[in-house]
Amino acid sequence: MWTRVRDIERVFNTIDMLQNRMNRLYSDYDRMRAIPSAWGVAQSGPSTNLYDCGDHLEMTVEVPGVAREDLNIKVQGNYLEIGGSRNSNVPEGYSAQRMERGATVFTRSFTLPADVNTAKVEALLANGILRLILPKAETAKPKKIAIQ
Amino acid sequence: MDEKTEMVKREESMPERRREIPAVAPFVDIFENDNEILLQADMPGVDKKDITVNVDNGKLALGGVRKVETTGAAQWEEFESVEFQRTFSVPQSIDVEKIEAELKDGVLCLHLPKSEAARPRQIEIKSA
Repeated sequence: MWTRVRDIERVFNTIDMLQNRMNRLYSDYDRMRAIPSAWGVAQSGPSTNLYDCGDHLEMTVEVPGVAREDLNIKVQGNYLEIGGSRNSNVPEGYSAQRMERGATVFTRSFTLPADVNTAKVEALLANGILRLILPKAETAKPKKIAIQ
Repeated sequence: MDEKTEMVKREESMPERRREIPAVAPFVDIFENDNEILLQADMPGVDKKDITVNVDNGKLALGGVRKVETTGAAQWEEFESVEFQRTFSVPQSIDVEKIEAELKDGVLCLHLPKSEAARPRQIEIKSA
């Protein structure tokens, strides 16, 4: 029985290796994953990037077509929640020929790698990208301890 | 090592190899009324100056490049620099001169007005 499990494992390893080879062969293969998926189907919210810049964290969120007043951002300690909605009603007097963008309501929460100074959080929205600057809390910053 | 694997290896270690930006088709909504066709495309993060809209020979080509600038150490990255590209066939009845485009919150809005001749006309029935 155990040898059989190991055989299956070996088959999977071989498949992994084959996939790696294929990735290298066709650079186009990677593009498949870059195609954005419709919100709510494969993903539960917008895509985000998070960078650690030493004394602050920087997060960028992809929110096309979401107005400033439709975004909700909550921070508490190292917990961050981003919520928002986009309605894509057919404009008055128009008939829809193709609808891909769709309306969406999303909430996404994150556990940040450090506590955040909630009073100094900045949020900027430009061209459908939300940029959050989250300064780390004093307690999360490294501190030098004097020896007496 | 046979010659074939060696060649593959060498290509991979080429230091000057350019990192290609993936091309992505943006999501679009297309609406129509009697006067115009309205197209809305999601292009988050694309600057106004980086968007191109070309109409040529019945083809409407949308293009836009998004450059994601990175600072600090990446904790996670779910989106990256991409090139948005999509081409549509447009009817010849579109008035190319009067096409208008606007960009708001990362959504490109294109107004494609129909030419006078293409608009539906109500035909009055004369009483005999």
